[in-house]
Amino acid sequence: MLRVYGGMIVLALAGPVAAQQRLGEVQAPRAPEQVYAKVCGYCHGRNVGPILLGRHLPAETVKYVARHGQNGMPAFRPTEVTPAELDALAAWIATAPARKEEHGQ
Amino acid sequence: MSGFSIDRRGLLGTGLGASLAAGLGTGASAANPAPLAPGRTKADFAGAMKAFRGVVGAEWVFGDEEAVAPWSKTYIPDPAHQYKPVGAVCPQSVEEVQEIVRIANTYKQPLWTVSTGKNMGYGMTAPATPGQVVLDLKRMNRILEVDADLGTCLLEPGVTYQQLKDYLEENKIPLWIDVPTVGPIASPVGNTLDRGVGYTPYGEHFMFQCGMEVCLPDGRLMRTGMGSIKGSTAWQAFKWGYGPYLDGLFTQSNFGIVTKMGLWLMPKPPVYKPFMVRHANMEDVPKIIEAMRPLRVSNLVANCNLMMSASYQLAMFKRRNEIVPDGAPLDEASLKKAATANGLGMWNTYFALYGTEQTVAGVEPIIRATLTASGGEVLTAAEMEGNPWFHHHQTLMQGGLNLDEVGLLRWRGAGGGLAWFAPVAAARGVEAERQTALAKEIVEKHGFDYTAAYAIGWRDLHHIIALLFDKADPAQEQKADACYRELVTRFGAQGWASYRTGVNSMDLVAQQYGEVNRDFNRTLKRAIDPNGILSPGKSGIHP
Ligand SMILES: Cc1cc2nc3c(=O)[nH]c(=O)nc-3n(C[C@H](O)[C@H](O)[C@H](O)COP(=O)(O)OP(=O)(O)OC[C@H]3O[C@@H](n4cnc5c(N)ncnc54)[C@H](O)[C@@H]3O)c2cc1C
Repeated sequence: MLRVYGGMIVLALAGPVAAQQRLGEVQAPRAPEQVYAKVCGYCHGRNVGPILLGRHLPAETVKYVARHGQNGMPAFRPTEVTPAELDALAAWIATAPARKEEHGQ
Repeated sequence: MSGFSIDRRGLLGTGLGASLAAGLGTGASAANPAPLAPGRTKADFAGAMKAFRGVVGAEWVFGDEEAVAPWSKTYIPDPAHQYKPVGAVCPQSVEEVQEIVRIANTYKQPLWTVSTGKNMGYGMTAPATPGQVVLDLKRMNRILEVDADLGTCLLEPGVTYQQLKDYLEENKIPLWIDVPTVGPIASPVGNTLDRGVGYTPYGEHFMFQCGMEVCLPDGRLMRTGMGSIKGSTAWQAFKWGYGPYLDGLFTQSNFGIVTKMGLWLMPKPPVYKPFMVRHANMEDVPKIIEAMRPLRVSNLVANCNLMMSASYQLAMFKRRNEIVPDGAPLDEASLKKAATANGLGMWNTYFALYGTEQTVAGVEPIIRATLTASGGEVLTAAEMEGNPWFHHHQTLMQGGLNLDEVGLLRWRGAGGGLAWFAPVAAARGVEAERQTALAKEIVEKHGFDYTAAYAIGWRDLHHIIALLFDKADPAQEQKADACYRELVTRFGAQGWASYRTGVNSMDLVAQQYGEVNRDFNRTLKRAIDPNGILSPGKSGIHP
C-alpha cells in the first residue's frame, strides 16, 4: 500500500505560529522568529556568529549584511529569505530583546 | 552606531554602520560590472533578460550589479575576480524552467544552475565562466511525496534539509535525513548532484538517490529509471530502469537541469550510539585507517567516519591566535596543548552504531577491541557529554542540523576564505600517511595550516583539506590560489585526484582525468547542448 503523508494539520504549539510545510506546496511565508530559528540562529549566538538580538541593530544594516554576507557569513538571496520575510526579520531583530541562552565564544 | 562595536566572532566588523557604502568586505562592490558571455552583445543579454521577466515576473529577474550581489559572494580564492554571474533568474515551476531554457537557446545566453546554491568552499552560486545568468531553483521547494513504508521521497531542487526534516517531524514520520555538515541551508538535491557526503549509513548521497526528472538543454523533460513508465509505482524504488543508467550523467555535469529527484530515507533505528576514538599523535594516521577499514568493508561500522585532525576541530570554535601568536607557525606542541585542554586528541574519529539493543551490544565489543588495539581511547556520551565537538558529531551522525562548522571561516582573520581540496585515495594507512605528509608540506610552504579530516567511506578515503585564509587580505588570497594549484598538481602527480572541486579549479582537475574522458564529455555536450547554454565550464566540460 502506498501511504503518502500530506496536507496533515498539526496543532500549532504555544508561541509564534509556525507555517507548516505541506506536501506539494511551496514553502509558506515564515514569521521572523521562524526565519531566525531556522537560518540565522544556527550561527548567531551559538559560538559561530556574533549575537544579534538585544543590540538594536538598525534594520537597514541587518538587511544589507544578510544580502551581501559579510566576511565569513554566506549571503542570503531573495529566493532563500524573501524580501517580505527579510523586511519583517530585520525589523524584529532591531527590537528583539537579548536571549540569555545565546552565547559567543 | 555605537551598538556595532561588539565584534564577538569577527563576522560583524567594527564600524559597520559607517562602512555600509564601502561594501563591508563582502567583495560585492567592485567597480567593474561582470562581463558578458563570449560573443554576446548587450542587446542579446537585454533581450534574454526581458524575455525571462515575461516568464517569472520582473521581481524574480536580477541584472544590475547590486541586485546580483547575493549570487556573487564566494569563499574561494579568486584574486582576478573572475567568478561572477551577470544576472539571476528564479523560476517557481518546471514549466517556467522549460520556458527559460527555450529563451536561453534563442539568445544563446548561458545559465548556471543551482538548487539551494550553498556550495560553500566550492564557489557558492558563482559560475565557472564569465557571462552566465544563475538559474536559481530555490523557489521550487515542494516536497512532492514521502512514502513512510518504502522510506522514499520525491523532492524539488529548492527543498532544504531543514524543510524535509521539519516535514518528517511535524508529521511524525519515523524516517531520518542524512545531512552534509551544513544541512539547514543546503539541499538534498543540490548536494546529491554534486555527489556530496553525509554521516549516517546513508551518507554516500548519490548511492541513495533514486529517479530524476530532468529538463534537457532543448527544453524537453525526461524522467530516468522507472519514471517514464506510465503507472509505475517504482520510480523511487528501483534505481536502474532499462538500458544505460542515465542518472549519473546529470551529477557534477552540465547535461541537464534536474527538476525532481527521488531519495531513499533511512528508518530511524531503535538504538543510536555515537562514539569518538581519540588518538594522541599526528603519526597515528595509518593505524587508525588500518583499524577502521575492516570494520567499514564488513559494514560492522555502517556510517561514513570522520577522522578529524585537532587543528580542524579547534578551527570550528576557536581562533588561530588563541593557540599561537599571529605570524607564528601552528606547531604541534601548541596544537596538542590546546587539543588536550578541550578533550580532544590529535586525531578524533567519529562513528556510530545503529540497530537494536541486542545488535549494538553484540557488535560494540568487537569494535572496541579493534580500535583500542590501534592505540585509541574509545569514548561515548558517558565520557564526552557536554563536549561541543562530540555534540556536533553526535548531531551529524543522526542527520541532525547545525552550522557549527561555519566557524572555520574565521579561524584566520575575519575575511572568510575557504577552498576545499578533497583528493581521493583507497582506504589504506600508507596512502593516508603519505597524503598527510604531502599536504602539510605544501600548505605550510605557502604559510597556511593543515586543517584537515579524512572521511572514511566504504573502501575509499576522501582527504578533506580546508584551505583557510583571510580573503580580506589580497596577498593571502593570491597565496591561497597558488597553494591550491600546487596541491591539485602535486597530488595529481601521485595518482590522487579530487572527487569534486570548486569553480576555481574545474579545468585543472578535469585535465588530470585525461583527454579521452574530456573528449567523451565534450562529444556528449555538443550533441545535446549545441548552443552551449547549460553551465559551461562545470567539471571542466565546455561547449
Ligand atoms: C563548513 C562547511 C562544511 C561542509 N560540509 C560538507 C559536507 O559534510 N558534505 C558535503 O558534501 N559538502 C559539505 N560542504 C560543501 C557544501 O556547502 C555542501 O555540499 C552543500 O550541500 C552544497 O550546496 P547546495 O546543497 O546548496 O547545492 P547547490 O549549490 O545548489 O548545488 C551544487 C552544484 O550541483 C549542481 N546542481 C545543483 N542543482 C542542480 C540541478 N537542479 N540541476 C543540475 N545541476 C545542479 C551545480 O553544479 C551546483 O553548483 C561544506 C561546506 C562548508 C562551508
